Amino acid sequence: MKITELFERGEFVVSAEVGPPKGFHVEHLLEEAKTYLSGITAVNVTDNQSSVMRLGSLAMCKALKDEGLTPIYQLTCRDRNRIALQSDLLSAAMFGIENLLLLTGDHTKLGDHPQAKPVFDLDSVSLIHAVKKLEEGVDLGGNELIGEAPKFAKGAVVSPCSDSVDAQLAKMERKVMAGADYFQTQAVFEPEKFIKFMEKAKQFGKPVQVGIIIPKSAGMAKFMNNNVAGIHVPDEMIEELKKDKEKTKAGITGVEIAARIIKECKPYCQGVHIMALGWESKVPELLKAAGI
Amino acid sequence: MENYTKYKLKSNDELASVLADKDNLFIIACNKCFKEFETLEEPECGEFEKIAAENGKTVTGSARVDFLCNKIQTEKKLQDLIPEGTENVFVISCGLGIQTVADLAGKPVYAASNSLNYTGYHGMALTERKCDACAQCYLNITGGVCPIVDCSKSLVNGQCGGAKNGKCEVDSNKDCAWEKIYRRLEKQGRLEEFLNQPIQLRDYSKINFKFVNDYVKAIRADRLEGYYGGVHPSERKEFTEHLALKRFPDPEEVVIPLSMHAGAPANPVVQVGDTVKVGQKIGEAAAFISSPVHSSVSGTVVAIENHGHATRGECLSVVIRSDGKNTLHESVQPRKGLEELTPDEIVEIVKEAGIVGMGGAGFPTSVKLKPAKPVDTILLNGCECEPLLTADHRVLLEFADDVIYGLQAILKAVGAEKGVIVIEDNKPDAIQLMNEKTAGLDNIEVVTAKTKYPQGAEKMLIKRVTGRKVPSGGLPADVGCVVSNISTTKAIADAILKGMPLVERVVTVTGERIKNPGNYIVKIGTNTKDLIDYCGGVTGDDITIKAGGPMMGFVLSDVNVPIMKGSNGIIAVDTDHTVEQPCIKCGRCMDVCPMELSPLYFAKFADEQNWQGMKDKNVMDCIECRCCEYICASKIPLVTKIKAGKNAVRGMK
Amino acid sequence: MLITELKARETINGLVEGKKVFIINCHGCKEVHFPEKEAGELQKELAAEGKVTGILTTDYICNQENMELRLQKHMSEIEAADVVLVFSCGVGVQTVAAYLEEKKVCAACDTCPLPGFQGVTPLEYKCDQCGECYLNLTGGICPITACSKSLVNGQCGGAKNGRCEVDSDMECGWERIYRRLEQIGRLDVLKCPTQVRNFATDEEV
Repeated sequence: MKITELFERGEFVVSAEVGPPKGFHVEHLLEEAKTYLSGITAVNVTDNQSSVMRLGSLAMCKALKDEGLTPIYQLTCRDRNRIALQSDLLSAAMFGIENLLLLTGDHTKLGDHPQAKPVFDLDSVSLIHAVKKLEEGVDLGGNELIGEAPKFAKGAVVSPCSDSVDAQLAKMERKVMAGADYFQTQAVFEPEKFIKFMEKAKQFGKPVQVGIIIPKSAGMAKFMNNNVAGIHVPDEMIEELKKDKEKTKAGITGVEIAARIIKECKPYCQGVHIMALGWESKVPELLKAAGI
Repeated sequence: MENYTKYKLKSNDELASVLADKDNLFIIACNKCFKEFETLEEPECGEFEKIAAENGKTVTGSARVDFLCNKIQTEKKLQDLIPEGTENVFVISCGLGIQTVADLAGKPVYAASNSLNYTGYHGMALTERKCDACAQCYLNITGGVCPIVDCSKSLVNGQCGGAKNGKCEVDSNKDCAWEKIYRRLEKQGRLEEFLNQPIQLRDYSKINFKFVNDYVKAIRADRLEGYYGGVHPSERKEFTEHLALKRFPDPEEVVIPLSMHAGAPANPVVQVGDTVKVGQKIGEAAAFISSPVHSSVSGTVVAIENHGHATRGECLSVVIRSDGKNTLHESVQPRKGLEELTPDEIVEIVKEAGIVGMGGAGFPTSVKLKPAKPVDTILLNGCECEPLLTADHRVLLEFADDVIYGLQAILKAVGAEKGVIVIEDNKPDAIQLMNEKTAGLDNIEVVTAKTKYPQGAEKMLIKRVTGRKVPSGGLPADVGCVVSNISTTKAIADAILKGMPLVERVVTVTGERIKNPGNYIVKIGTNTKDLIDYCGGVTGDDITIKAGGPMMGFVLSDVNVPIMKGSNGIIAVDTDHTVEQPCIKCGRCMDVCPMELSPLYFAKFADEQNWQGMKDKNVMDCIECRCCEYICASKIPLVTKIKAGKNAVRGMK
Repeated sequence: MLITELKARETINGLVEGKKVFIINCHGCKEVHFPEKEAGELQKELAAEGKVTGILTTDYICNQENMELRLQKHMSEIEAADVVLVFSCGVGVQTVAAYLEEKKVCAACDTCPLPGFQGVTPLEYKCDQCGECYLNLTGGICPITACSKSLVNGQCGGAKNGRCEVDSDMECGWERIYRRLEQIGRLDVLKCPTQVRNFATDEEV
């Protein structure tokens, strides 16, 4: 099922994210996904996230699909040239994977193989363009595909709280022009910024899922402030997290904060995307707290 | 010659679409670099103007500029270049030129051309070999054939299966690099070595951009500090900088040229057979720009005849046989103290002592001390920017008080308020000493300058220290400065304190081919050959001996010439065997010329005898510092051509 | 423009272990960079170990004709050596290696790229010679070289405080482009069609 159909029906679409392991045993991960994520619409599978080498996104998508979940296949331009990217897209179509999230990808220097050659033959915009071409039955080289053309829900990302939000909006517009069907955002901790962003973004008429990270601790929040692009956790929130010291209560404040953000953003967007970062078990209670 | 053209005009269709919504265009074209220097104008410029016209566009003007990427010069050239009414600027150049203009123009700037890729960067000479600057050179395991550039797939572990008849699968005109590598290693018997190499994995993070970016910033600041251009030849001063001055043994005979200065040669005032003493005048100034000459020994005049001369070929000289006694002439008496002397008296003493610029040019110092315009600053040139030479350095260290005294004398003579002693940072001991010695003096300052040749050239020194720019064709006095050399200043002190005219000087005898280098106090008129012999002679053959430093020194084809007032050094270095090759328009000469000239045009115009062109490109401003010749990848004797041009331009007047 | 950096000492030791060495220094691009001091110290040590048959310090060995002329004088010293160790960029090493075809010619330096092509003062700009100049779409700031990922369709999400995710000392190229376009009133060019790079124009001239 394409998640675009849900957006069209006016549903508030909930997705969450899983990262494949550095290894090939995925039983535990599948079990977790089934337990905690079966209630949500779709599951993103990251593609060598943060340039750290892991099990492939496509294989994990297939495994999740076989377990009855709806995967969103994340695909980045860092590791593959246009031949490999288009080929993998056809493979995804063969497996019946219909949802895509198309990204440029972090630079190789940030990951665990800094010596690797960064590819970036295409970028996120030209990758969306390439998918659109495949849907029209031709590849980027202008050659016709044999048989039925694949159909995907083409997702893209945008960073609404970035310090260069104008440049981000310009890029978002280019993605829309290239054929993006929906957007997921970088994690939002400042709903007012997100709301402002959405006022401008709504002109594009594409559904947007607000990105949510459950802040695990004050330390994690500070780390993100210093190191993660497009994320800023306000000081009051960090103070709030500091109070969450008792081990037994660990995570409760974080879930509360995340739920609050979802509630504040919900009227302005069409869905939520949760990046649980290992806290998949907390997703059900978060959704409950957010009233979804 | 290889065609290294870096850009070509975009296609008509693309240009038409870029031009569609733009009008009132100004066109800037870069005169291409890295190509044979044949035409002054590039065909693409006219072609683009035609396309603009075909699209019905108004062109407000156009300009052709050399080396658009030379930001400093381009910035100057762009001033007032773009006429009012221009809305869009189109640039025909490689990406560097376009970005430079886009940064400077303050208007929308568009590219009319595409830069072409000829795989990576290349060296300064045009060669078919390339380097991809991978920061992990593989040449050591491939017999010197580059697998990154020469193999289409940049394979680093051996041949792929795609080669057919020794040709690459990507381009059948191209030899398979790995076959070349294999053959080369086979020839050298290194196949075993190759097979035993560990598996090679390329590391794409090797290029440390932080290092590169920081380096670029640092080198830009460094290269542009003080004044535009300049070079950093190997200093090689370690041969002699720590060697204390030694007095060269008295010569048995001296040959004293009557011309050791700019202007008219002195007229002899002694005759063959006359007895002379140390400091006695033997030639008198023949004109306003001239200088008297004195005997450096006591003895008998044995001849007044033409004799070999380091810079003039031959020159009338007074030959004196020494009696070995060094009897002082009666006129050699201490003068009044500095407090009592009037400015005019100081100038007169300097004039009578035969003091001329001892840095080489030999301009009479007394003339400098009577500037036509008010002067507020005296600059003492302690840079000694010539490689190898250490004479001034030793004078600073061993005669610091005399140098300061001489500077005070100049300050008084000229009526200037401030004296600045400028020393390059490669002489920390001299800087420290002069700082100590001048600590209590309000009117004297010591300035440390970053070592860069030709810092000691008057105009560069003034720019570096005061920020003032001597106008084209002007003199230091035009900007309120007088520049004096260290040894000259010390000679002024001698003339006042001892009454001793200029009869000896410090000479550095050095170079990697001098057996025992050293710094010597040498009597004027001493035979250069004796000096070299005393230093143990030279080692090896095929050697070049120069009077002066490696940059501005004169080649001595015959060492049987006397040491003169301007002889700051005698050097023996390896002869360099090169042939002049065509100019490839690399632009380096323009990048190093401290006078901000375009030496490449001088070479071209001199060959065409286009003297008007030389004049238009301001050849007369050239200070003959030789930076352009030093940096020239094609080894073009630029200074010789410039001198010919200057002579011709002088003749035009 | 190229600059050279000395290889690690162990690497060079491996090359000259138990061998006689002839050394060539190329100062042609010294105004930009040459590890003169480090190279000098290393060569002094090698000479003290009695390994060195001769040293030639010269310039522009990439200029084949002049390089050959200058090497003539040293042929006997080269004969006596097992290895010719060249301190220069990769072009210089290849030129010498091609001339001394029977000799083991080794590189003592690694070569890194610097912005700018010619001249002795490196530029703050780079040109990657992509053959499909994008400057018209970017207000004259090159997206290929000013962006770590060479993106041609706009900013990625990696910039933090206007700095690149790869190097926090580097300004995000696309933020610069956006500002420049805003400044010259040409934000409309961002509405141009999706750009797909054409690497096939990478032909040699």
